[in-house]
Amino acid sequence: MSLDPEIVVLYCQHCVAQDAHVAVAAEQVRGLTVRPTLMPCSSKVEVPHLLRILEQGADGVELVACPEAKCRFLVGSLKAEQRVSRARGLLEEIRMGGQRLGFSRKEKLSAEALLDLAEARAVAVKPLGPNPMKKGEPA
Amino acid sequence: MIVAEWKPVNELAAALGSHGKILLVGCATCVAECAAGGEREVETLAPLLRMALQVEGHPVEIRAKTLERQCEWEFLEELDEIIPEVDAVLSLACGIGVQAVAERFPQVPVYPGVNTTALAIREQPGLWTARCAACGDCVLGETFGLCPVARCAKSLMNGPCGGTRKDGKCEVDENTDCVWTLIVERAKARGSLDSLAQVRRPKDWSNSRHGGPKRMFREDLRE
Repeated sequence: MSLDPEIVVLYCQHCVAQDAHVAVAAEQVRGLTVRPTLMPCSSKVEVPHLLRILEQGADGVELVACPEAKCRFLVGSLKAEQRVSRARGLLEEIRMGGQRLGFSRKEKLSAEALLDLAEARAVAVKPLGPNPMKKGEPA
Repeated sequence: MIVAEWKPVNELAAALGSHGKILLVGCATCVAECAAGGEREVETLAPLLRMALQVEGHPVEIRAKTLERQCEWEFLEELDEIIPEVDAVLSLACGIGVQAVAERFPQVPVYPGVNTTALAIREQPGLWTARCAACGDCVLGETFGLCPVARCAKSLMNGPCGGTRKDGKCEVDENTDCVWTLIVERAKARGSLDSLAQVRRPKDWSNSRHGGPKRMFREDLRE
């Protein structure tokens, strides 16, 4: 990619350690732009949200949920996983690349470990090239 | 409810590629209940189509709107001011809604975004199954509330075909119940199995689609 890839990380508030300073750590990442967003539960993310983020030009999205048995809303992380799967299928259908969306289950993550997931997503989307919706990218 | 399912996104993109400004219209009634054409589906399809057409090299402007119903003229008035500003309309309503939009706004091309498939019920989350074929001569009173027209693969009216699987499923589809098995079981449970042996009048198909386009007329409601 000509520019640093932009990865949006949506993560459940219960996935990270209480002392994790994600926003501060994200600013120190080099080689990619990470936009972390804290969610009350991963199930608050719906398919249109994921698509809108990509439509706005992000190169990839990583949704981080709790382990299935640890979900405080019982089926919250399951719903989130189903939605990511649905959105991936739609992206494949339009040849945008399903791997632009990632899903992980983690708990008690440090800020650095969370950002490692963003880096892994950046590596996964690299073969796809920049998001064609990125401002200034040729059609 | 009337159920429908999305057309393939690439098929929609191919149909819309020659237009620059598109209005995507959802319907908040039946197709919202079956998760094909309500507000959420409009919010999903709008960014998806923008991306699909961008990938194809045809960037478009898509406006989105969801009407309470597309099959009632009064609700279509909400589109009056938007239609002159777009080149085409993509409707996520059933075939009735698509035709209503096309009839009220003949100056713009109107494309269907969904395939209307059945009159169905939500049997489980994410599973809709046909319950009615709008055949125009309802026999549910004779078949214990189970429709052999819509729910039998062969629309048999006088009992099972003989191909019923041992587990009571249809020979055509292992996931579909044989409706005649269900009818017999319900008749047994009600102690009315004998009623199925009665000779019934032939079904009148003239009031179905086979009798030509339907017109329903009520003098007391005319103005």
